[in-house]
Amino acid sequence: MAFDRELLKGSIALLILKLLSERDMYGYEIIQESMRRSQDAFEFKEGTLYPALHQLHKRGYLRSEWRTGETGKQRKYYGLTAAGRKAARRSEREWLSFTKVVNAILSKANA
Amino acid sequence: MTHPDHIVSRVISLAKLPGSKRGCEVAKELRAHLDDVAEEVRSQGYDDEATARIVRIRFGDPQEVAAAFASVYAPERWARRILQSAILFAASTIAVVVVISSVQSIAAVCTAESVLSTFRNIHREVFGIAAIAAGYCSLYAGERLFSTSRVRALLPSVTLGLVLAAVFAWLIPQHAALPLAAFACAASGRLLQRVQIPFVWFAGTALPLLIAWALFGPLLPGWQFPWLVWLGLTVSCKALREIVQLFERVFVERFA
Repeated sequence: MAFDRELLKGSIALLILKLLSERDMYGYEIIQESMRRSQDAFEFKEGTLYPALHQLHKRGYLRSEWRTGETGKQRKYYGLTAAGRKAARRSEREWLSFTKVVNAILSKANA
Repeated sequence: MTHPDHIVSRVISLAKLPGSKRGCEVAKELRAHLDDVAEEVRSQGYDDEATARIVRIRFGDPQEVAAAFASVYAPERWARRILQSAILFAASTIAVVVVISSVQSIAAVCTAESVLSTFRNIHREVFGIAAIAAGYCSLYAGERLFSTSRVRALLPSVTLGLVLAAVFAWLIPQHAALPLAAFACAASGRLLQRVQIPFVWFAGTALPLLIAWALFGPLLPGWQFPWLVWLGLTVSCKALREIVQLFERVFVERFA
């Protein structure tokens, strides 16, 4: 399903923070994981993930390090900092409240 | 050029990332990502051409990605630019101080005057020295900001010149002509230094000075050798040219 770009843009930080709260990942892995969990419904231009990662890194929410995988490939892994964990919890709460309000409006409009 | 390399180099060239080290790191990260995507697509049985096309589509518009990177690093880029500009202006001012002081000292020795007596107008010359550095650097800044248009490249210099004219007319109305002439000499010296005719820029430092002289008379009271003012300005412009070239080698080429 193709979602509105602005909607995706607004939620990408939350998705990154949520996925990284579980374990450290590199960019390609974040995309694969979000596609797997959304059953390929969540599609976005992959290049846009990296500026978002760098933005969160600059804000101090993420730490990063280069690691060499089993295949010998070097990849930049991202993980959450303490501030990032707080931001992830806050963003999730905000999102849930927001969707609750929107759903309430929509359900009344449809009734 | 292969597609992943083309995509990465396009993003890096448009993103204007601050510092070559960061540029290299972002390029390495994007290349690793594109390699992973290409490997995944190839494993699904696509040939090289189709793989490249799918990788390109999945990645998105490099221009859009570059714009997003540019926006993330905009504050850092501006901070770096401001710091570099401050370094350039400070180095330029020091160079002008050295040149002007040397010229004045030589003139004092030649006329058997006390070296200290030649600096009696130093409070006025401070404005002149700052104006030379500002005139030269503002034109250089214009060249960097508007590299495609020579007319627009004059904008920062002209704007700063008008601002300085207003400030000097308010602060030092009796002696505003010297720093304004110095500003114009340095800017026109820089302008003519870019002309591919040797020594033509000497005229750039002389012409505004002659005009100021004709309009306002001697710019520094007590100066017996007006040509020394021109010499000081010309040597200053030469020194500033060297500083700008050094600045480009150190900051612009290495960290661009």
